[in-house]
Amino acid sequence: MTVTVDPALAADARRERRFFLSLSLPALFIVGLAAILPILWIIRQSFLTTGGEYTVGNYAKVLSSGLTWSALVTTLELSLGTLAICILLGTPLALALASARPRVANVLMAFVMLPLWTAILVRTYGWLVLLRRDGLINAALTGSGLTAEPLPLVYNFTGTLIGMVHYMLPLFLLPVYAAMRDIDPNLIRAAASMGATLGQVMRTVIMPLSAGGIFSGSVIVLIYSIGFFITPAVLGGGKVNPLSTRIERTLSTFQDWGSASVLGILLLVLMALIGVMLLAARRLLAQNTVDAPHA
Amino acid sequence: MSWLRISLAAFAISAALPVHAQTVTITTAGGDYGNAMKEAMWGPAAKELGYDVREETLSDGLAALKMQVTSGAVTTDVIHLGSPEGAQAAAQSLLEPLDYKIIDPKSVPEGAKSDYCYPFDSYGTVMSWNTKTYGENPPKTWAEFWDVAKFSGRRALRANAQDSIEIALLSDGVAPADVYSVLSTPEGLERAIKRLEAIKPNVAVWWTSGAQSAQLLKDGEADLVVTWNGRAQTVKADGGAADYTFKGSVIGTDCLGVPKGAPNKEAAMKLIAAMTQPARVAKLTDFIAYGPVNPAAYEGGLIPEDRLKTLATAPENAGTSVFSNSEWWVKNGEAAQQAFDEMMAR
Repeated sequence: MTVTVDPALAADARRERRFFLSLSLPALFIVGLAAILPILWIIRQSFLTTGGEYTVGNYAKVLSSGLTWSALVTTLELSLGTLAICILLGTPLALALASARPRVANVLMAFVMLPLWTAILVRTYGWLVLLRRDGLINAALTGSGLTAEPLPLVYNFTGTLIGMVHYMLPLFLLPVYAAMRDIDPNLIRAAASMGATLGQVMRTVIMPLSAGGIFSGSVIVLIYSIGFFITPAVLGGGKVNPLSTRIERTLSTFQDWGSASVLGILLLVLMALIGVMLLAARRLLAQNTVDAPHA
Repeated sequence: MSWLRISLAAFAISAALPVHAQTVTITTAGGDYGNAMKEAMWGPAAKELGYDVREETLSDGLAALKMQVTSGAVTTDVIHLGSPEGAQAAAQSLLEPLDYKIIDPKSVPEGAKSDYCYPFDSYGTVMSWNTKTYGENPPKTWAEFWDVAKFSGRRALRANAQDSIEIALLSDGVAPADVYSVLSTPEGLERAIKRLEAIKPNVAVWWTSGAQSAQLLKDGEADLVVTWNGRAQTVKADGGAADYTFKGSVIGTDCLGVPKGAPNKEAAMKLIAAMTQPARVAKLTDFIAYGPVNPAAYEGGLIPEDRLKTLATAPENAGTSVFSNSEWWVKNGEAAQQAFDEMMAR
């Protein structure tokens, strides 16, 4: 079926498109300047010796070092751990928020967003006060006799994970909450009226319809988590060393800009790989839910 | 005709100045430290020599030095650097060799000697402890710091090979004078790393900043903390349950160098010699707790008895401490740090 369009209208539409495009030019310019140029510079830097000659030595050095791979493993453990906890804690929370009355939901949402308005450094040091040996949590645990010895809650992997989840949870929650709030309550009522149990409603109605939100939340969590620096540096006690702290060490102790650039590119590649995998996963998911009736 | 008037005026002004006045420019870190150096050291020295000394202040001396020398526009005659930066600068040919005919070579102890950057004051990497945990009987040596059976408790060390590998060897019975000759062999470095690996299960925190180490000591998060003397002193002075010792400390120094191609090279050497006279570096401790490197500054009561306790280089601590060897670190630092990082990742 073809629709004939008035040429004058079409020209109008084209003009409009051009106008909107031109409005976005300053933003595009800034993105180009602030994101693409530095990346190109880092790529160039990764092929330079300290003397400024071209080399692939930096890549050989970084990729053959066991430290790089252990940092990579730590990075993945931290990001996937953060994501898993965010999904486990965030999804039920989003569900509760979405099903609460709007006034209550708004108040709860404000509490969820509160940490986002606090600087990350302040929050990280705040966790130190709570988690350290004579901190509030350990004082409560030992004081009440629940544990004989203070628990090792900070200056290790556990502490780092707690700090990262605290930062990421609100950012995960937002898209999931938005997706769940948009679910038509009539669908849930319909499912229930046809005899679906709560579990079935979750599985067949709520989860498929909020999958897009969970997916977006997961992408945000992973992209942020891969580059986390302050949290592992402060709460990890020197024992948790992802790629970001490896880059810092390479720069500040060795003044080796070339190798640090290689590590930075490794982070970029990791992000791209995760992006591709998530996109593939979403396509698969979409096929399963959309194509199912046709099959 | 205005150019004539200007040049006449310029001539009149220059004629009015004493022709023999030597101008020298010194670059310091500024702040309290820079002021202390001015009051105690180069101010009086300039007066004595009759020099007109100008001060420039910069926080990153090495970067500034590199810029001046590589661009060929050297404006400073004397520059204040940390000794590791001084050694780096020397390795990159940014400094003139020191003229030990003008500067007294005996004013520097053997272990601290440098051909390019004259060390004049010092700070120590020390052992500090929680007085609530150990009371009157804290560990007294690094060997005891490593003795986790006798001194149970949580340790905190710096997440850096620098100073840590020296301390590790001291704990293993290496004499302070032999630390760098042992470290210069592959087996020696391995020995230090093995020693650190042995204490690793008892290290609660590997700290990354001086402020963090002070916090750990103050909060009692760790019972035994390797930290810098200034930090330990601050915790102690603020009423924290902490004490520290200079015995076995690793001493770092700050130094004075002359940039390559400095406009007044000889005057610069003379100024360095004059401003580091024993009485002047002793006077520096009136303002800031950085002890003189020159042993003569500790003679004749130049420094009050009670202040000596707060200085890393006090004579009573000599013999147990190690001077951090900047040249060794410039040469071997990357390999040592690599071995340290691999130990941490195991």
